[in-house]
Amino acid sequence: MTDQAINTPQATRKVGAEAIPSRSEDLGAPLYIAWQVTNECNLACLHCIEESGPGKAFRDEFDASQVFSFLEQVIDLEVPYLSFSGGEPMVHPQFFEMTEFVCTRGGQLKIETNGHYLNTENCNRLKAFEVKAVQVSLDGASRETFNRMRIRGDYDVAIEGVRNLHAAGVPIEINYSPTRFNVHEIGAAVDLAYELGAYSFYTGRTMYTGNAVKTWHLLAPTEEQYVEYFRVLHEKRDEYHGRLRVHFHEMGLLEELRYRLQHPAALLIVLPNGLVKLINALPFVCGDLRRQSLSEIWANFENAWNDPRIAEFVEALATDPEKTSALHKWVYL
Amino acid sequence: MKLAKYVKFREEKFGGVLFETRSEKVYSLNATAAAVVRAIEQGGGQREVIDRLMEDFHDRDGAVENEAAAFIAQLEENGLVVN
Repeated sequence: MTDQAINTPQATRKVGAEAIPSRSEDLGAPLYIAWQVTNECNLACLHCIEESGPGKAFRDEFDASQVFSFLEQVIDLEVPYLSFSGGEPMVHPQFFEMTEFVCTRGGQLKIETNGHYLNTENCNRLKAFEVKAVQVSLDGASRETFNRMRIRGDYDVAIEGVRNLHAAGVPIEINYSPTRFNVHEIGAAVDLAYELGAYSFYTGRTMYTGNAVKTWHLLAPTEEQYVEYFRVLHEKRDEYHGRLRVHFHEMGLLEELRYRLQHPAALLIVLPNGLVKLINALPFVCGDLRRQSLSEIWANFENAWNDPRIAEFVEALATDPEKTSALHKWVYL
Repeated sequence: MKLAKYVKFREEKFGGVLFETRSEKVYSLNATAAAVVRAIEQGGGQREVIDRLMEDFHDRDGAVENEAAAFIAQLEENGLVVN
């Protein structure tokens, strides 16, 4: 599964008496790495931004030795926060070894999953490793909407998976991608997340990219629907204050990217084959872990964001929002 | 006193960063604040942490003591350290 909502660390807050720098270029390493460990997935969701699915693994995905060489660099550079996503990360043959590797070396790890492999045994293993959180995609508060969105998916299996996480004591986050056929369930979905024991709920606007390009006519909520969607979310945020963190990006993609141009988040997106992107919503590749170290790629991070092609791409979105349909045609900086 | 479970600290040229990974909030620390966090990571109660800093910084007028105590209170208020 690959979520549509963008979860990134919030703006840097300053603590201490003196004025101090807080630009990404002043940091010795990223603060967050989002690693799509495989493009293989057991589901074929209508909105998947990575077009993941059965048989969709990249032919050149990292082998086991490249996987652990990369993870060693992440630990050595003390990257405080790492996530595994996909595709479905739990179908990766080394998933549990990778999880153990990170967690036993002090890394804070989040797993982003479709929830279909969360049986009791797997949840107990995730608890034993003390993963920071498992984020499960629940794009619907009913079997009808969930199963319509998540082709090959089973609402009951995902719900059972979340219950298994809760029983094992693993911190739970829920992610929700809005569509025209599930927006009306958002209030019930937040209620469900709380009832299932989640501590965080994420959502945003569904992006026109990946599988959504082909299914947009089925998916795209109207602006009126979005207005109501976010109204309910504001209410739910207040209702669950202090009990469930209801986090949502109301901003459209263009506004988000314009902000990022001025304030690049200290994160890298790593693809299954080691290519490194600046942000999911842009096609730009700023490094290749098969040829460069993580340090080398990070050293060029700020320069990469300053490449004029990025600002041109973002501004072109203002007149042609469908440019996001080409996010998988990578542009090498 | 220790850093809360979901808080990670990393030293930087300008001092350090604290990352609270549950809320995904990042705090930049100046050199003094980073020294306080390092002292917390070494273990002990608040008094022990402050005494260690006073010794390291040759605190004669109590400035380090006051600043460290204020900063620790700030960390506690933000849920970044626990006793």
